[in-house]
Amino acid sequence: MMKVLEKKTALLVMVHGSPRPIANADMHRVTEVVRERGVYDLVEAGFMECNEPTIPDAIDSCIAQGADEVIAVPFFLHTGTHVADDLPTLIEEAMRRHPDVKFRMGDYLGRSERLTDILSDRTIAAETGASS
Amino acid sequence: MDATVLFSHGSLLCGAGEALLAHAERLRRRGISPIVAVGYLNYSDPPFLQTVGECVERGATRILVTPYFLVPGYFVKVDLPKTVAEAQAKFPEVEFVVAEAIGFDERLADALIESAREAVGPAGWRQDLRRASQFCRPDAKCPLYGTPNCPKQPMPVECEQNQ
Repeated sequence: MMKVLEKKTALLVMVHGSPRPIANADMHRVTEVVRERGVYDLVEAGFMECNEPTIPDAIDSCIAQGADEVIAVPFFLHTGTHVADDLPTLIEEAMRRHPDVKFRMGDYLGRSERLTDILSDRTIAAETGASS
Repeated sequence: MDATVLFSHGSLLCGAGEALLAHAERLRRRGISPIVAVGYLNYSDPPFLQTVGECVERGATRILVTPYFLVPGYFVKVDLPKTVAEAQAKFPEVEFVVAEAIGFDERLADALIESAREAVGPAGWRQDLRRASQFCRPDAKCPLYGTPNCPKQPMPVECEQNQ
């Protein structure tokens, strides 16, 4: 069997999940944009609840595809218990399953000033619509 | 006079509103409207209706309600209109304008990539949990309550003073 020697970095987008899978459509579009940018060899979404793949399955899938580094970013607006505690626990468990893989975690989406820009645009669009 | 109210779900975890307050503060500095405030649906203070009341007291005649939600799901489509209707009934002279939820935006991809660039190893993963105790409030439902991460418990009185 051929061994994969090429080093790969995976971006794992950690998502809450929804009983209505359609709720994930915009997130999938965002993930697709990240993929198209070509910054990371692999870009996968994993879900905490309701939807598949689960976060552990998505991590294992990245590693099965050759990732030796997984960077996990929470697709969350708030630091609730999921971001502050549950997600780190899932990654720590993955570290034990894959001791040779490097894991890093980024800040949750809500911390980004990009969100302020988006909120500003949404507010101005509503204001303009109401005034016209 | 306009007021922008960021409408958010709320959380049991102390300090969960930190990012939202930062957005409100930036929007305020950018001068999006004379008043910028946050109001919550559940758990966190102040509740939306109270925020609206405070905005009206400060002279707001129109409230721009901007959902701090990624997805226009149940909270945005059902709870938000219900909450706004309550506010409208209480303040019939005030105009309410509801903005779209965040939804798809290419800048979310930028945010993900930028966050990944700054990603850290295991030692930094529970920073938010540790920092949350700074925002301690006397709430037995907070996951930190009574844990070593909540050094202010069992001293709820001190928590209140720190609010």
